[in-house]
Amino acid sequence: MAGHSDSSSSEKKSSEAMNDVPTYSAENLQNNMKVIYYSRTFMSIIGGVLAGILGFTGFMGFVLYFLVMAITSIGLIAKAKFSVHAYFDSWNRIILDGFMGGLMSFVLFWTFAYDIVHIF
Amino acid sequence: MGLGFIIGVFGVLILSHAAYSTIQYRGLLKIMEEEFSGPPMNVVLELLLGFVFCIWAALTVPGKFLSIHPDSEENRIVSLSANLDFMIFNHRAKAFPLEIDMKLKH
Repeated sequence: MAGHSDSSSSEKKSSEAMNDVPTYSAENLQNNMKVIYYSRTFMSIIGGVLAGILGFTGFMGFVLYFLVMAITSIGLIAKAKFSVHAYFDSWNRIILDGFMGGLMSFVLFWTFAYDIVHIF
Repeated sequence: MGLGFIIGVFGVLILSHAAYSTIQYRGLLKIMEEEFSGPPMNVVLELLLGFVFCIWAALTVPGKFLSIHPDSEENRIVSLSANLDFMIFNHRAKAFPLEIDMKLKH
């Protein structure tokens, strides 16, 4: 079991010789997750505004959302200087985390921008 | 963080200018009674530029990544929280004479 639970912030986990659990600084991991969350949320909002201005409706808008999320993932991996394991414990965190959370913000700002630009 | 923030604001301003241009373009199309198929090419370029600025701001403003290895260079100092449990008062400073004046002053 390579997972760990987020306990109090300043403690380092001690590794037991039996299980060989990898040791992480939980506080720094939380900080990195916060950075990813902020980045993804902001990019979802900007992607929504972009989809609204371009006049996408229906399926094309969601295609744009996945494109914006993919670009954000690549940007985050580049920010981590391609050595993901120095900053996170698994690839899934930097690629998939916050994906669905941003979808709601995206649709909201997509609707806003589309209404402002195309309907009023 | 200051520069990234300014670039982010700039990107948002460029996007809103592009939105305004698209609104005017739609007004023009309504007069000429044509269908809206997409914004004009310069608006698309402006959107792309604003998008690039916003990507740059989104990656730099939230803060740096911190290394999670406990034995890396930047994690050398472990700090405990300033917790009352760890504060001790029974140390050798009690050998110093008291400095406070014990008399009440009027």
